[in-house]
Amino acid sequence: MNLKKTFIVTAILSLVVIGTWELFWRYQGIYPTLDDNEALWAVQRARVEKISSNNVLLMGSSRVLFDMQLDEWEAQIGIRPIQLASVGSSPLPIFHDVVTNTNFAGTIVVGITPGLFFSTTSPDAQPWQWPQSKVDYYKKRTYAQISNHMLSLPLQKKLAFLSDDQGIDGIKLKELIGKINIGNRVVDPMPPFHEFGEIAEDRNNVMKQITVTDTAYANSVIKVWQFFMKGAASGPPPDKASTMTFFLNDLKVFEARGGHVILIRCPSSGTLRAGENMGVPRANFWEDLVKQANVPSYHFEDYDNLKGLICPEESHLSEEDAQYFTTELVGIMKKDGTLINLKSTNHAL
Amino acid sequence: MLLFASYIFYGLWNPPLVILLWISTIVDWITGKKLAIEENKRKRLLWLLLSMSVNLGFLGFFKYRDFLMDNFTTVLNTYGYGYQSTHMDIILPMGISFYTFQTMSYTIDMYLKRTERAKTFLDFALYVTFFPQLVAGPIVRAKDLISQFYEEKRATLNQFIWGLFLLTLGLFQKVVMADTLLSDTVDKVYSSDKILNFWDAWMGTLAFSGQIFFDFAGYSTCAIGIALMLGIILPDNFKYPYASLGFSDLWQRWHITLSSWLRDYLYIPLGGNRHGVVRMYAALMITMLLGGLWHGAAWTFIVWGGLHGTYLILERLQRQYIPFKITKWNGMFLAFTTFTCINITWVFFRAREFKTAWNMISSMFYFNPDGEKVLGSFDILKVGIIIGILFLCHWFMRNTSVEAVSKKISPIVLAVVWAVMFFLVAIAQGSGEQFIYFQF
Repeated sequence: MNLKKTFIVTAILSLVVIGTWELFWRYQGIYPTLDDNEALWAVQRARVEKISSNNVLLMGSSRVLFDMQLDEWEAQIGIRPIQLASVGSSPLPIFHDVVTNTNFAGTIVVGITPGLFFSTTSPDAQPWQWPQSKVDYYKKRTYAQISNHMLSLPLQKKLAFLSDDQGIDGIKLKELIGKINIGNRVVDPMPPFHEFGEIAEDRNNVMKQITVTDTAYANSVIKVWQFFMKGAASGPPPDKASTMTFFLNDLKVFEARGGHVILIRCPSSGTLRAGENMGVPRANFWEDLVKQANVPSYHFEDYDNLKGLICPEESHLSEEDAQYFTTELVGIMKKDGTLINLKSTNHAL
Repeated sequence: MLLFASYIFYGLWNPPLVILLWISTIVDWITGKKLAIEENKRKRLLWLLLSMSVNLGFLGFFKYRDFLMDNFTTVLNTYGYGYQSTHMDIILPMGISFYTFQTMSYTIDMYLKRTERAKTFLDFALYVTFFPQLVAGPIVRAKDLISQFYEEKRATLNQFIWGLFLLTLGLFQKVVMADTLLSDTVDKVYSSDKILNFWDAWMGTLAFSGQIFFDFAGYSTCAIGIALMLGIILPDNFKYPYASLGFSDLWQRWHITLSSWLRDYLYIPLGGNRHGVVRMYAALMITMLLGGLWHGAAWTFIVWGGLHGTYLILERLQRQYIPFKITKWNGMFLAFTTFTCINITWVFFRAREFKTAWNMISSMFYFNPDGEKVLGSFDILKVGIIIGILFLCHWFMRNTSVEAVSKKISPIVLAVVWAVMFFLVAIAQGSGEQFIYFQF
């Protein structure tokens, strides 16, 4: 057994095969992206422990993640907010975590996606479980996990084949195998889902350009929203009472220590907006929440410069529109004087 | 240096729990020191009991406290006492079952005068803490490991490269085979709250038999490989267990270092086969029940151990009353039968509740022909092919080893196999699923 020879040949072969694999995916249009996982979220959550009340936290579902652009926030108020929004999630578990487990007394912008915010307080339901798993990960993360994340970031930034996209866009071995289907013994009713966003290290997230330029791509995402809407229609009704009570209790605690909350409703359009109007009508849900919370609130439909925005896949804004939306919305907040905890800057309120 | 690295390794998971390692180390070091010079039998026994109380006390508190309290509460409430216990949700220190058994083996061997006392405290501390095998074995005996620490070790080039190969093989087993190819199928089947179809129940269970083998054997192979890269030789922990010819054979092939521990420190002290048939069967059953409990604080693990105890007893009865010679013709059938019976036990190992286990068993015995289908045709085909190949590999490899086979093939072929494994690990790696045996 000539192990030295074996090792040298293995090293050469491995480099050639992995290099070829990387080039193949680059040729297919795949480029390096970061994984929006619990570890990435936990880094931002950890920052909350050290910041003063001058800071802003962003919470909510994917709409806050896509529509709130950190560069524009920073340009407007001189402070880069911390992005804690989580896709497919109710903001309640994360809001509860910050209120209960930190001393933060600054400004929290809570994005209201009615179908998620009012959905449930059940720990087993997905809109709760997903954000809660992030909170739990943060609380329990080990030094090994922190190091693992730090070491993986440079690789994720450089190598396309490490892309952690799921479903139809996934290129990891598990995803590639998962795409193989024989017969129809079990039919997955969910339409194929494209990953249409890409996230930065500070969790600033933008919509992929292809979602804007390729209608078929955007339509495939719309089909998924329609699938979820159908599921929601046949599933349990929104649990408005318990979600509102849960939020208002936390809000009271947060306000008592000097914190401020701003509610925002990011744009949605097309059939999705129509579906929301039927399932979680504004008057019954958003208006009632705003009334009971008694905090500054901004609904995109209330502003002429915001209500005309069209979401390419009906639920999130393109990068360009998100930048515009953020600039305009923060501008309105500044004008209203609702960002009251912020330190004086050149952009003083 | 190695000792420091080992503490850092453990501390990266949970720094305060390194204190438990230190306490175990100090108690067993002092006990070993006393046992080396003490001749008074009563005092020797007291020292042994002190060490075992500390080690088993840690294990009992951290691993079994909530389980024992729950059962205590259930029993009290059966008699109408209305007692309510407080769940402490204690963190289970990673690898506690492994390192407590390892340190106990030193103390018991010292008590029985089977091993020499460790020369220095640092050598002993490294024996308890040696990072490659600290959290999931192999459980190594003092005489096999401490003596390797006495002189400065440096791996030869061949040892280093072979260790690297074993590390790649272990990662391939864990990342590609267990996590990428099998875990989703297992989760889909075992997380279903429905009564399943025959095929789904069997394929989910077969997938788990593959997953747990690749997961655990993968870790052991990584540990052996990393140790070898440092010039330290660890014992084998798996020898193609799914080609076992019966259950005695299985326990000489599956988690070998645990089963030999249970044999030497539990089965034989309980009487072994020296006091008649009934006592032997009782010792076997107690050993396997406790072996089951070692894996987890739940009744499902105890049933798993009980089933293996029953198999072992039935096998001995068969040998006594209906003996037959194993030939190459009936051998494969026997191995297949053994493998099938092992799969029945895995149901109790994997299911979180008895209800799930019973539903699975009833489906596997075709009591639910109209059960729910949760697996696609490709999932069934994939598991069938993987487990079929796994079984055949174990069958053809049962009397040889990876090292022996690699010596027979050309370096280029070995390099291609190695590169393919490395490539698949590279394109399969994900956010990192924990090794199943870390929780034990």
